[in-house]
Amino acid sequence: MAYLVLDHLRKAYGPALAVDDFALEVEKGEFVSLLGPSGCGKTTTLRMVAGFEVPDHGRILLDGKDITDVSPNQRHLGMVFQAYALFPNMTVADNVGFGLKVAKRPKAETTKRVEEMLGLIKMPKLGDRYPYQLSGGQQQRVALARALAISPQVLLLDEPLSALDAKIRVELRVEIRRIQQELKITTIYVTHDQEEALSLSDRVVVMSAGHMEQVGAPSEIYNFPSTPFVASFVGTLNQLRCKVVDVGQGKLSYDGQIFETRAPVRGAQGATVTVMLRPEQMHIGSLSDENQLTGKVEMVTFLGSIVRVRVGLGQATVVLDLLNKRSLELPRVGEPITVSFPPHACWVMAEA
Amino acid sequence: MRRGGQVWAWFWMILGIVYFFLPLVATFLFSLRAKLGVLSFVAYQNVLSDPDFVYSFSASVLWAVLTMVVGILIFVPTAYVIRLRLPQFRTPVEFITLLPFVIPAIVYVFSLVRTFSRPPLLIVDSPALLVAAYTVLSMPYMYSAVDTGLRAIDVRTLTEAAQSLGAGWGTILFRIILPSIRVAILSGTFLSFAIVMGEYILAQYLVKPAFAPYMAYLIQQKAYEPAALAVVSFALTWASMGIIQLFGRGAPGRAQVAGGH
Repeated sequence: MAYLVLDHLRKAYGPALAVDDFALEVEKGEFVSLLGPSGCGKTTTLRMVAGFEVPDHGRILLDGKDITDVSPNQRHLGMVFQAYALFPNMTVADNVGFGLKVAKRPKAETTKRVEEMLGLIKMPKLGDRYPYQLSGGQQQRVALARALAISPQVLLLDEPLSALDAKIRVELRVEIRRIQQELKITTIYVTHDQEEALSLSDRVVVMSAGHMEQVGAPSEIYNFPSTPFVASFVGTLNQLRCKVVDVGQGKLSYDGQIFETRAPVRGAQGATVTVMLRPEQMHIGSLSDENQLTGKVEMVTFLGSIVRVRVGLGQATVVLDLLNKRSLELPRVGEPITVSFPPHACWVMAEA
Repeated sequence: MRRGGQVWAWFWMILGIVYFFLPLVATFLFSLRAKLGVLSFVAYQNVLSDPDFVYSFSASVLWAVLTMVVGILIFVPTAYVIRLRLPQFRTPVEFITLLPFVIPAIVYVFSLVRTFSRPPLLIVDSPALLVAAYTVLSMPYMYSAVDTGLRAIDVRTLTEAAQSLGAGWGTILFRIILPSIRVAILSGTFLSFAIVMGEYILAQYLVKPAFAPYMAYLIQQKAYEPAALAVVSFALTWASMGIIQLFGRGAPGRAQVAGGH
């Protein structure tokens, strides 16, 4: 049996269903992210694990024990909040040692553990500061140390980086992953930021409207999305409405231009299907043995390492990403352009 | 700001200061004239050495301290629970806490006397009734101060953070919430203190020793001593304010609490 089992959880607030039929098994030491737009039920799910919300239906098992009805202060889980939630009346060291003090651990042990934790978050000399004397990033590090000090069975993080600057966010993201791997602690991480979820997790759970859409490794979620929602929510996606020309050979037609796909085509000849393509799978220029479509350059956005080009293809607009090089000649707005992509790069969804 | 506006601003400010300080200065000067022809502190000596003064003053201090303690024990948990769990009750509770401003003290004290001077609740002679009444009187100050303090901290998240670290309700309330809103509680309690020290009607009609009835009695008996007493009571109030400032300065929770005012 898995270390943490969320057994068909369901939670409604009046008529509004927040989480429905959420079933997930998390292995010991695994890092799982719950990813989705706001209101998708990811935070409610995390709060049910923490014990701040009681599920209407379903059970939560931790290490084989049913903890569904255990109060939050008996669950022995560490939690990090978006708003840091450091105790303003206590120093950093007192904050970190709070859980141990509550558990009435010997003073020497608490002091040692606090030092250890402050070392772990690379803030060994700031123990006597108060929270209001720290930056946001530092406060969140302390919150992480405080949650980890009690050696929790599971670490829960609720959008911990959302309130921070972009640069600090990336730095702290790396730190969180490093610490998690160092301690091998089972972690559930809630975020609406796909980059965070993809870069941190062993597995990602994509959620929408209270439901689980897909569970899988980050590369699986990105490259093989199983529902249209996952495909469009994770990463940028081009969608082209095409007609089926030949089901067996995977031939499709877009705006009179014929191309091929290796993906299975569900739909009879003449039916309309949606073809999906990631921007980084497309190139400018015609390459033999690749599909080609012609259109017109609509916009060129320089993003540093990447140049994003919007190309008008008949009714639709597609976005493609070029890796920047010094020798790269940027396409000009308004000029005709040929874009190509390999047949295996696109996948097809039948129209509902 | 325009130059003319600035002149008027100064004018109104000085007028305000004169309006406030003139009677005080006059009272102070008057209190120094107990001895004919010289300025002296004789009136102060007389007042401070009067055993009735010491008795009534220490009685009032006792009532005030008890009111502060009872007030903290009642209003901090109430405001906390309402913020955390019962936000829908905030408006009605705020309305109730403002009632002492609306109901005249004389009406309040007569209703207390009527209600509690007959069985089954014959407690009109008990000092507890006076302290309870003072607690009600201090409610608008105490509750709003505590509520403002709570608004400035993220009560819910702090509570949940403490819970996830294993803390029970007592620990959360006394080790986290109470210290975090220390300055707000202090300002509420010192206001209550000042109110109780100067309160006349409740003590008079519930027939309990207190500072204000003593002062009223003295006014009828003597000339200079009441003036000295008035200055003393002003000094006390200001000392209370000074203590609030002193405790507030450099307090760890200050940044958060100050943000809420």
